[in-house]
Amino acid sequence: MAAAEPAAHRRGRLRRSVESEYARPLILIVAVFVLWELVIDIFQIKPYLIPSPWSVARMLVTEWPRLWREGLVTAYATLGGFALSIVLGIPIAMAIAYSRTMESYVYPLMVFSQSIPKIAIAPLFVVWFGFGIFPKIISAFLLGFFPVVVATVMGFKSVETEMIDLARSMRASRLQTFLKISLPHALPSIFSGLKVSATLAVVGAVVGEFVGSNSGIGYVLQIANGNFDLPLMFAALFVLSMMGVILFAVVDLVEKLMIPWHQSRRGDVMVGTA
Amino acid sequence: MKLMSRILACSVLVALSLAGAAHAQQRDKVVLMLNWYNYGEHAPFYMGLDKGYYRDEGIDLEIQEGRGSGATVQAVAAGSVQFGYADVGTMMKATAKGAPVKSVGILLQKSPMSAMGFADKNITKPGDIVGKTVAVTPGDALSQLWPVFLKINNIQESQVKTVSGDATTKRNAVVNGQADMLLGNVNDQKPIIEEQTGKPMRAVLFADYGVNTINAGIIASKDLIAKNPDLVRRFMRASMKAVEATEKAPDEAVAAMLKVNPKAGNPKTLKTSLETTIPLYHTKDTEKARPFQVQMKDVSATLDMMSQYGGIDAASKGKAEDYYTAEFVK
Repeated sequence: MAAAEPAAHRRGRLRRSVESEYARPLILIVAVFVLWELVIDIFQIKPYLIPSPWSVARMLVTEWPRLWREGLVTAYATLGGFALSIVLGIPIAMAIAYSRTMESYVYPLMVFSQSIPKIAIAPLFVVWFGFGIFPKIISAFLLGFFPVVVATVMGFKSVETEMIDLARSMRASRLQTFLKISLPHALPSIFSGLKVSATLAVVGAVVGEFVGSNSGIGYVLQIANGNFDLPLMFAALFVLSMMGVILFAVVDLVEKLMIPWHQSRRGDVMVGTA
Repeated sequence: MKLMSRILACSVLVALSLAGAAHAQQRDKVVLMLNWYNYGEHAPFYMGLDKGYYRDEGIDLEIQEGRGSGATVQAVAAGSVQFGYADVGTMMKATAKGAPVKSVGILLQKSPMSAMGFADKNITKPGDIVGKTVAVTPGDALSQLWPVFLKINNIQESQVKTVSGDATTKRNAVVNGQADMLLGNVNDQKPIIEEQTGKPMRAVLFADYGVNTINAGIIASKDLIAKNPDLVRRFMRASMKAVEATEKAPDEAVAAMLKVNPKAGNPKTLKTSLETTIPLYHTKDTEKARPFQVQMKDVSATLDMMSQYGGIDAASKGKAEDYYTAEFVK
């Protein structure tokens, strides 16, 4: 019996590491890679239709300096658009949440504007703003802006009026009420909006690059597409996705630091703290 | 007696119409995917449709607009459409990467590729391009032959500024003065911009300055060529007739195009586009030949250029016969 214990212990540790938060996505990625390779081998899919994961991985390594360089360009545009979404989105959302008039004037217009396909108007940004980074920032902003506004409005509107009344009855100033009650209440919702926005901003930046750009991942994608270079295309897409993942993770981390008390951050729901 | 003859007449009619229906059912449904949205270059296929050349060959033809030669080649390779009308240089790149397609006839044997700008920029020869800003689409056929064009004409790449964007952006850049020129096909963007702005454009053709490549042709999958060579032969027979008819009566071809697709474009622009296209059908050597009949040496020359500059590796290059067969345009 005594000899069996360390083995069980080891099994437990193995299971824990397999089930840890970081291992799980990695396991899934490996599984997807294996499945991908298998499907290509079994169905004899030609490389001009879908590249093999190995050729993509090789491309990622050999073309890394270039992908990194172009990735940075896209990253700047993404961050610019995302920052603009926060700086403009949150105040506008607060105005909408606190003022009926603002809401009735602005909100429908924003929903309307959100339904315009950005790819259709993106060529105009090049006409208006040229070939520099600015039109890409605008494009990233236009995609990232809306989720921030919607989530923030919802966050502020869902504050219970009883709580506000309580604060008032205790003679809290407006600022105090805002800082102690409304803002903390709205933050979880704001952060979920920011997370959606972060991933969409990446897409927006690339849309901008597709339409007119001398650099960036969108530019690489266009060249890869023209040459039927699918490994390069997938490698570029991978870099793009990683950018979204990293930005998402950063927002997640900031959220963790700012609202450690929230229920999504407590206990076993997210094992990351363990 | 009268009744009998009437019954007889009726039954003959019924039999005839049945035969007609059966005949229609036997016709092969064929889709031809073009290289791009409709412009004048495509008129011959509509001419053939309108004149019934395809129907006479037992083909029920549907013409689909395209979104770039690359996508058309992929659609043909995947078997989504039977025939494609696409840039053969682009097809070569896909074929070298393993796409099972081949050209069965080459219509544009002189390249329509050009650098074009407004006439008031006074750009008439390669030397005038030095110091200018040129709008290009990264990765497309033109952008890949552009460095070759510069090199052959002794221009350093650093002497020309480029801005990159998609087709719309290229056009906007020239119209709004963000670029002096764009790389485009002389029979496509040039008449469209002239229509849009009312200002004359001038083009410097790659073909006139040392970079001639064969351009658009009909492509089919190797599978179709092997399994149904008769269909390919009939399709090409009808297409050759259609092009010959177009050469004789371009106006009629444009009218046919507008009849089938009323939104194809402005009639005048379509006509200018077609009239710019027709001189590209033949090289000096093929002046006497029928349309689509290209010389193998021209296919070879294009393949050499693509492998030297256009992203085909020497290892997978192969020979001209791997990319083109003259069998169906004899």
